[in-house]
Amino acid sequence: MSGGIAVLLGLLVVAFVSSMLVGGRTIRGFGLPSGAEYLVLGVAVGPHGLGVLPRSMVLIFQPIFVCAASWLAFVLGLGYILVGRRRVHLGRALVGIVLAAMVGAAVGGALWLATGVLDVVQGFSRLTLAVGAGFVGCETTRHTVRWVAERHGARGPLSDWLADMARASALVPVLALGVLAAVAPHAPLTQFTPPLRVLAGLGLGVVMGLVAAVLLAREFRRDESWGILLGTTLLASGVAMRLGLAALTTLFVMGLTLSLASRHRLEIKFMVQSTEKPVLLPVVLAAGACVDFDAFPNLGLIVAIALVARLAVELVRGFLLSVFLPSARAAGPRIGLGMASTGSMSLALAFVLTVRIPGPAASAVLLIAAAGVLLGELVGPAELRRALDRAGETHAEDADDVAPLSLRHSALGSSDFPEPPHSDAPGAP
Amino acid sequence: MSGHGSGQKGIGTRLIQAMALAVTFSLLYSATKLTPQLEGQLGTVAGIGFLLLAGTLLSELLETVGLPHLSGYLLAGIIGGPEVLKLVDHHTVDALTPVNTLAIALIALAGGAELRMATIRGVAKSLSYAMVAQTVLVLVGMTATLFGLARFIPFLAELPAKPLLGVALLWGVVAVTRSPSACMGILAQTRAKGPVATFAIAFIMSSDVVVVVLTAVGMMVARPLIAGSGGFSLADMEKLGHELLGSVSFGTTLGLAFAAYLKLIGQRGLLLVLLAVGFGLTDFLRYVTLDATLAFMVAGFVVQNLTAQGPKLLHSIELTGGVVFVVFFANAGAHLNIPLLQKLWPIALTLCVVRALITYAAARLSSHLADDEPVVRTWGWSSLVSQAGLALGIGLGIAKAFPAIGEGFSSLVIAAVAINEMIGPVLFKLALDRAGETRTAEAEVSRTSLLPPDPA
Repeated sequence: MSGGIAVLLGLLVVAFVSSMLVGGRTIRGFGLPSGAEYLVLGVAVGPHGLGVLPRSMVLIFQPIFVCAASWLAFVLGLGYILVGRRRVHLGRALVGIVLAAMVGAAVGGALWLATGVLDVVQGFSRLTLAVGAGFVGCETTRHTVRWVAERHGARGPLSDWLADMARASALVPVLALGVLAAVAPHAPLTQFTPPLRVLAGLGLGVVMGLVAAVLLAREFRRDESWGILLGTTLLASGVAMRLGLAALTTLFVMGLTLSLASRHRLEIKFMVQSTEKPVLLPVVLAAGACVDFDAFPNLGLIVAIALVARLAVELVRGFLLSVFLPSARAAGPRIGLGMASTGSMSLALAFVLTVRIPGPAASAVLLIAAAGVLLGELVGPAELRRALDRAGETHAEDADDVAPLSLRHSALGSSDFPEPPHSDAPGAP
Repeated sequence: MSGHGSGQKGIGTRLIQAMALAVTFSLLYSATKLTPQLEGQLGTVAGIGFLLLAGTLLSELLETVGLPHLSGYLLAGIIGGPEVLKLVDHHTVDALTPVNTLAIALIALAGGAELRMATIRGVAKSLSYAMVAQTVLVLVGMTATLFGLARFIPFLAELPAKPLLGVALLWGVVAVTRSPSACMGILAQTRAKGPVATFAIAFIMSSDVVVVVLTAVGMMVARPLIAGSGGFSLADMEKLGHELLGSVSFGTTLGLAFAAYLKLIGQRGLLLVLLAVGFGLTDFLRYVTLDATLAFMVAGFVVQNLTAQGPKLLHSIELTGGVVFVVFFANAGAHLNIPLLQKLWPIALTLCVVRALITYAAARLSSHLADDEPVVRTWGWSSLVSQAGLALGIGLGIAKAFPAIGEGFSSLVIAAVAINEMIGPVLFKLALDRAGETRTAEAEVSRTSLLPPDPA
């Protein structure tokens, strides 16, 4: 049996375990909201650990991993405007986007200055590191809010605000990746200027989203729909990869377009959501195996600066929320720390960045994203729960009804359908 | 291989599908023109997406003129493949070999699971007569045909009679091979039920065992004829026995494992298990020189007939296969060697026509002897014309075993299989339509809402 087949089978086993966990019928009682355990597992089996999954093997399956990450972006785009069955509130979404951009800019700025002072990377690599680490990790995983809500029965206006802002924040890193891929040197589309390349990636997503929407418009049958969805997504991501664009950004836009244009959006979302975890965990595992601790000197310091900057700017975000959002006043500025949880998308984006713009800078971005996931795991859920406690939105008596902490509720893999009972969700109080 | 073909769709839907198909072609065409230097790995993902989408759409459009979906998949592959528009390059075609492996495993599993003991008992007499008549007449007839036409075939024209007889015998063996994939593809699309469909599935799946035996015996007999020295070796028979018994034993164990899984866990996660088994076990079985097709077929048969889990297994394969088979057949289309077909088509077409005529005659004879019902007498032969991956595999195996005639023999096999691959499914679909076995009721198509109940 070839090594390739062995790795493929290994990944299928990981996907199988993940799919079993989605149903929640097997393992209960442990698990992390960010799913960081799979990241750690990836590091453990990677070249810096046991060496079972060497980087060369990951390289063989690179297109598959990029496709898988792009599929996750498609699923994310498909559910971007929906929380459960309700639409995301536009105002909250805009605030979420602006604040996520602020976090990204602040962390990116700090890294830009730090790399200048330390003189570790120059030129485009410096830009990749600053923009990549800043913006790729600026999202708040939508699963954290849900996780806290499910475990502690949180509901109320602040929970809704946080859920909508977390969901909307994903747009910033996705677009940042699209821009980085477009301005990267040696892009195959030499005929186009960088802004046109960005537009080409977005346009491709819009066109394929519309194609999928019209094909699924009249009839909706499971077998046909899978063929059309897989065909359109693979074609879009394949063409994007071929043109040197960010396939992940293209697929996110495609999902978003499909969600906006199709009257079957809920059915499609329901159909694809079960694939999220089986696809995600092998990607996280591969990302873990690709983490490089020796990308360049002083890497540890750079990572520390990124993490400290993130926490500092999260406090600023929390301060702004507590000042301008009445429902957040009681929660105080530390609510920002509750938004520090990053997860699947950050890792997937960083991983794709290492594929699209290989080099020490992208490797550092992946390491920072991985460290961010772990830090977010330590800080995010606990701070969020405390903040919601202070805001009076947790309901301890309801929490007894919630299943014990389990991988089913893992932020990396939780299905987001149906969502927690937000106050403006149908049937919610 | 989608089972949705029977629903009636309006002109609006067809126009939308045609436009989407145009977008699909033009998108990949533009990308290929914009970055002509980038072939290989980067094109593979787009290639798979193209084959899947274009195959699905073209099959839907060809449905309006009564052609089976398989023809649409094949045509999409031919047009987009390396010989015509070059949207899918040779690297992509080769890179999709694992998909072919998976598809063949799923087809064999599904084929075995479709073989119900009660059904086999019901058609046992028919099946026995047909198996003997088809095997003997096609083998002898095609051996004689190739022997007779040898002077028109460049690589055989100068061959002396004895080795020529050996090559002709091997050709006869290849001609006996049918296509389980085409049969399953058409039946899955049409959801046909009736005597013709039952006969087709029972005959084609059980003929796999005959083909395995015949190939081994044929090669054993042909070797001294072609090489001009040596004799029969019992070692070949020992190897054959090991292969058959080993495959059946392994298949039985696998079937019981599947049944246990389905009983204990259900269908959850089975899709991934099927993928892992399809990829991993096929590789393993090849390594231990067992017949993967036979093993998977036995596994499906065991699940269906020795346990109560057959319907669950079939349902899961249907869900997985829907996408895999489109890529499989579209890739087969992309694999077609058009220049070779252009060169060899007169002789290949002659051989295919003769094979079809012998198949028809053998079917009439066996139906008469078995006293089959009229519909089987008239249309029973139609499913036996298709040839695809199995015939190619055996043909290429023979070519490898006999390098002296290998290149010419494999070229002729590829050309003949290409013709049978294109004509066979059309014939079978036509026959099922004429026999009234294709179901057209919209109600048959699963259209239930995929949404969970509203929590509100």
